[in-house]
Amino acid sequence: MRSAEMTAEPAEARQLSLSFLHPSRSAVIGTLAVIAFLVLWQIAPAMGWVNGRFTSRPTEVFFAAIDVFKNDNFLFHARISLTEFFAGFILAIVVSIPLGVLLGTSKIARYLIDPPLMALYIAPTLVLLPIMVIWLGIDMAPKIAVVFLGAVFPIVLNTMAGMSEADPRFLRMARSFGASKFDIFTRVLVPGSLPALLTGLRLAVGRAVLGVIVGELFVSQAGIGYQLNLYGSAMRIDRLLVYALIVSAFGYTLTVLVRSVENKVRDWRSK
Amino acid sequence: MAQIEIRDLGIDYRKPKSNEVFSAVDNVALSVEKGEFVTIVGSSGCGKSTLLMAVAGLVSLTRGSIQIDGKQINGPGPDRAVVFQEASLLPWRSVRGNVKFGLEMQRWNGGDLNERAMQMIRLVGLGRFSDYHPHQLSGGMRQRVNIARALAVDPQVLLMDEPFGALDAQTREIMGTELLRIWERDKKTALFVTHDIDEAIFLADKIVVMGRNPGHIKEVIKVNLPRPRNEAILDSEDFHELRKRLRAHLAEDMSSMQLVQEVA
Ligand SMILES: Nc1ncnc2c1ncn2[C@@H]1O[C@H](COP(=O)(O)OP(=O)(O)OP(=O)(O)O)[C@@H](O)[C@H]1O
Ligand SMILES: [Mg+2]
Repeated sequence: MRSAEMTAEPAEARQLSLSFLHPSRSAVIGTLAVIAFLVLWQIAPAMGWVNGRFTSRPTEVFFAAIDVFKNDNFLFHARISLTEFFAGFILAIVVSIPLGVLLGTSKIARYLIDPPLMALYIAPTLVLLPIMVIWLGIDMAPKIAVVFLGAVFPIVLNTMAGMSEADPRFLRMARSFGASKFDIFTRVLVPGSLPALLTGLRLAVGRAVLGVIVGELFVSQAGIGYQLNLYGSAMRIDRLLVYALIVSAFGYTLTVLVRSVENKVRDWRSK
Repeated sequence: MAQIEIRDLGIDYRKPKSNEVFSAVDNVALSVEKGEFVTIVGSSGCGKSTLLMAVAGLVSLTRGSIQIDGKQINGPGPDRAVVFQEASLLPWRSVRGNVKFGLEMQRWNGGDLNERAMQMIRLVGLGRFSDYHPHQLSGGMRQRVNIARALAVDPQVLLMDEPFGALDAQTREIMGTELLRIWERDKKTALFVTHDIDEAIFLADKIVVMGRNPGHIKEVIKVNLPRPRNEAILDSEDFHELRKRLRAHLAEDMSSMQLVQEVA
């Protein structure tokens, strides 16, 4: 082989980065800012700048966190909320992926169903919460329903877009090799729409978390949202902050997880 | 009997947003013998791709017929494989996965798929790159994969639509030489569309010159340069003659194009 192009190594082979040993300026500044904020927060009530009853203190939040994990029946409430989350989310996946695929492949179905779907996607599905409670009671069922409703539309719409925006050049190439309709579907359309599907999943995570928490805040007997309600009426800022952090960390972790898969899949597509 | 027999071929397209039709190619007749390497040249829009896609079975014929080995074609078939200009590698599949694609679609049963794919990848000189994804390859390497994918299904006829159109001049020359090296092994019948005059001469046993409005064949030029060929023939007397002749053809086409614009 005499062409020079054959010697090119892929970008992948890049060296392992050791940059964490040499923190960048932005990392240093960021850390300093956080420390400054915590210190300010800690001393502000003592200096009389704010009322500590409303702002709490970092140390208080820290001890509240320990207390929450030790004595607050945390695992019990977390299990309830997680059950609602995953039941609704998995249900949404099971329904929305086939639906999105169907709508993505059938123009007629898309024309029929696209406008109401769009409307439901844009409207906050939480407005249906009171109805869900009337229909399904105050246990886990209405929360599962709200999570489902929140998660289902972004997944349907993104899967649909991914399927219907398949590159026509790929379809022609597949046909040139005698691919059947079924082959084109399984080997071209489905893998081609995977990145869009993952985008849908990522957007759905945020809406699903919101569904659980708001559902429980509205009316419930247990769960993280129930705890938030409880400590809200007791004005326990420290505990409220602990629960807020837990909920954010959960949503953040899931989002980052999906995004990393998404980025990997998108890598293949970018030229 | 010729391997490819095109008679009175005409293909109409519907104009966008109207019911008018317009003829992309008309009155095309062409015979290609088994093992012949035929290049097709002509100015942009004269229907080269349309003709090639018709032979591939990817556009339907409005008039006339195309036979391969005496049989009327009816859609794509395993006797033909297409190398497209670009962007036809599936980005989520590795080089090997892409080369296997055609074999999978045709339910290949001539032995191990992986083995067959690797053989073709090595043939086009990408042995070390079989696990790469398309975005990690240069344009030239991608076209090698395209060629490997088409060769893997062992077609009777190889159809190539400006496969090197997006490459720079040097890479293009290298790819041309490589393509001939591979072709010399079993001399498959080949139809090769190109804009590049030198490329058209260098590869061909026969050059089809097309004209426009509607697309038709202006002339078929025999190329009697000896094989196997290398870059040295680019400077030969015969090559110069052919180049002059083709240039004249294309220049004529360009001037008629300007006329059309002035009238319009
Ligand atoms: N799907 C289509 N629908 C309508 N018109 C088309 C279609 N495909 C091609 N045409 C028209 O047919 C004519 C011939 O197109 P074709 O792609 O075969 O030309 P070409 O010789 O391959 O050009 P180029 O060298 O630029 O690739 C052009 O005028 C083009 O606009
Ligand atoms: Mg073309």
